[in-house]
Amino acid sequence: MTHPSSALDDTIHQRVRLGILAVLSESRRADFAYLQEVLEVTAGNLSQHLAILEDAGHIQIAKAFEDKRPRTWVTVTRKGRTALAAEVATMRALLDGIGSGQRP
Amino acid sequence: MNADEARESLAFSEYARKRARDDMSRPWLALVLLATLSVVSLSLTESAASLTGLFWAFAGPLGAGAIALYAYRRSRSSGIESSPLGYVAITAGLLILAYTAGRLGFAFQVPAVARFGPAIAVAAGFLALAWIERSWMVAAISAALLAVTVAIIGFDLSPQQSKALLFGLYGFTLLAVGFSLRVGRNLG
Repeated sequence: MTHPSSALDDTIHQRVRLGILAVLSESRRADFAYLQEVLEVTAGNLSQHLAILEDAGHIQIAKAFEDKRPRTWVTVTRKGRTALAAEVATMRALLDGIGSGQRP
Repeated sequence: MNADEARESLAFSEYARKRARDDMSRPWLALVLLATLSVVSLSLTESAASLTGLFWAFAGPLGAGAIALYAYRRSRSSGIESSPLGYVAITAGLLILAYTAGRLGFAFQVPAVARFGPAIAVAAGFLALAWIERSWMVAAISAALLAVTVAIIGFDLSPQQSKALLFGLYGFTLLAVGFSLRVGRNLG
């Protein structure tokens, strides 16, 4: 029998990456500055997390010029949505198991 | 991952979701605009039914366009965009349902359907809006409007009286809720 925590996805269970997917799953897309403000991270830190999620196929990044200014838009993929739902369900199951007296 | 970390991660993801929803939420404009149109159409209750239909045929799409334009500009400046599909579907569904109910009521000589069908379609549209916006307040108001509309059907009112009552009720209720949401947003 495997421990419930073994079902957690290492790519997304990190706090900031989970937050990025949570924001994107509610929206059509969000830009870099918005994510940085909501998640309260530095630009460098956010870039690293976005690169990890993009490499895993959970998000798509599009760079554009709007009003002569560069703007980075981020969109969650279907794979990212599925992974987020699975991750949240796993964490809830983990907490439910602890609540019902199973060993964590 | 231990229990505290799992709890903290879940709480953080819930915070991020809620923040995104709040930043995208803009039901106040839809409410205020539709309420204003309802109140304006009050002045047409003594006119021919076709004039009210003509008013809504122009004002409905114009209002929907204004809401879409506002939503587009707002999302551009805030940095988070919601999908417009839900809003477009609600607006189109609301207008088609309201128009169809009115026409069917006249065609089959069922005055109650002609008189109350459009109002029920509007309330149902706002229930759908409440679901998209995850707004319990808008859901409660829409359900109350639906209930009051059904109750009014039971009264023996003239067409003009029921029409005026419905538009007045819908107009002023949605106007009040819309402005209270706007003020609440500013205070927040």
